[in-house]
Amino acid sequence: MNTNSKRKLLLPLLLACSALTVSFQALAEEHEHHHHQHETSSATPDPAAVSTDSIFNITDSWTAADGKAFQLDQLGGKPTVVAMVYTSCQYVCPLTVQNIKRIERALPAAQAGKVNFALFSFDPQRDTPAKLAEFAKLHSITAPSWVLAQGSESAVRKLAVTLGIKYKKVQSGDYEHDATISILDSNGVVKFQSDAMNKNVNDATDALKALLH
Amino acid sequence: MKSKQATFISVLILSSALISTAAVSAEDMVLVPEGSFTPFFLKKDAAGSSTATATVINAFWLDTTPVTNRKFQAFVNQHPDWHKSNIRKIFTDSHYLAHWQNVQGSADTADLGKPVVNVSWFAAEAYCEAQDKRLPSTDEWEYTLTDNGRDQENLQKQIINWYSVPNQALPAVRAKPANGFGVFDLVGLIWEWTADFNSYMAPPDSRNSGDKNLFCGSGSLNASNLGDYAAFMRYSYRESLKGNFTGKNLGFRCAKDAK
Repeated sequence: MNTNSKRKLLLPLLLACSALTVSFQALAEEHEHHHHQHETSSATPDPAAVSTDSIFNITDSWTAADGKAFQLDQLGGKPTVVAMVYTSCQYVCPLTVQNIKRIERALPAAQAGKVNFALFSFDPQRDTPAKLAEFAKLHSITAPSWVLAQGSESAVRKLAVTLGIKYKKVQSGDYEHDATISILDSNGVVKFQSDAMNKNVNDATDALKALLH
Repeated sequence: MKSKQATFISVLILSSALISTAAVSAEDMVLVPEGSFTPFFLKKDAAGSSTATATVINAFWLDTTPVTNRKFQAFVNQHPDWHKSNIRKIFTDSHYLAHWQNVQGSADTADLGKPVVNVSWFAAEAYCEAQDKRLPSTDEWEYTLTDNGRDQENLQKQIINWYSVPNQALPAVRAKPANGFGVFDLVGLIWEWTADFNSYMAPPDSRNSGDKNLFCGSGSLNASNLGDYAAFMRYSYRESLKGNFTGKNLGFRCAKDAK
């Protein structure tokens, strides 16, 4: 608490000195490591830089169902079908998964392996990696092209805001949320979005195929 | 660490000599005590079928004022990724810091004490994160505005007066008295981002999950008095935002868990 209040005092004082940028340049540099760009994964075709309108600019760390750390830029190099779900969800989320699997099945076998399928959980409290693995099993998700991941409340919020997905945690612990399927190109740029409740996945499949040729 | 503090202090002495306006209160944040309030959209009319349960808010720290251009400038200096010439497109529309018009893309000296505007949710979020803070939730923000029920009539008048005048040149923060919690400028200056602005305003039982047409939901039907009307404006405004939007009257302040 002592160092905390000291920092609270120091910070405004420091900010007040912003005219003297030269004097605290050294300090500023020390802080920069928070915002270093992440390198694109080696699978990404263009290793130079993350596209400026890519969701890979979000660098929060997630945890995948296998317990390993996961970052959005690991989806680079292939187009990705993305949705946000939570495993205690009774109706909307299972249907979302079914519709994504419809998209998967609509692809020729040669193409299905060239696509990532990613499910991100709204529910950091209940959706542990083990719970996600159980959910995958329940829905017969076995292909290595699928990833299920959970992250901090702020990582969830940031991804949802980026994808334009509204949601709210209600008192029961459940989530009211938009059900949206998004399709990213291999650079992580959102190219197509549709209502995840729509059983007709032709448009989504076409959008995905257009990214695969 | 010692030497760094020494540098701080010498910089401080030097700068306070140079900048007379640099007097910054140590009371940057205030502890808003725990309590409860009924969010606007849960209020029911007299014939309302369900009894609205008040939402409980845990104590939390809140910035006493909106973040100023001065503070945001310091943030941009430390985090060049958020300079207007470097910011990633996914994090903002094209008006990011549009009022910082000099060649360096920095804040105008005359604006330093005014709230920073033209910032996207992502930029606001990044600023708070860099201070080891976070954006307040919509509930926390609205609860702070209710001010434990103090002087509601005056508050509503103030809000409606502000909402009814066209955009004016922004004054500096702290020009008007603080509310009972010690928080300044919740209304009268700018609209503020909240962490979960992308939430639903309508109660869950009034609609189907995933329904996007919330504007005509039960929320608006209950807007039967001025206070609710003002709240309806705020909730509707938030509802209309996207994370990359900026506005010349849209800024933010940060919060922190009380632990």
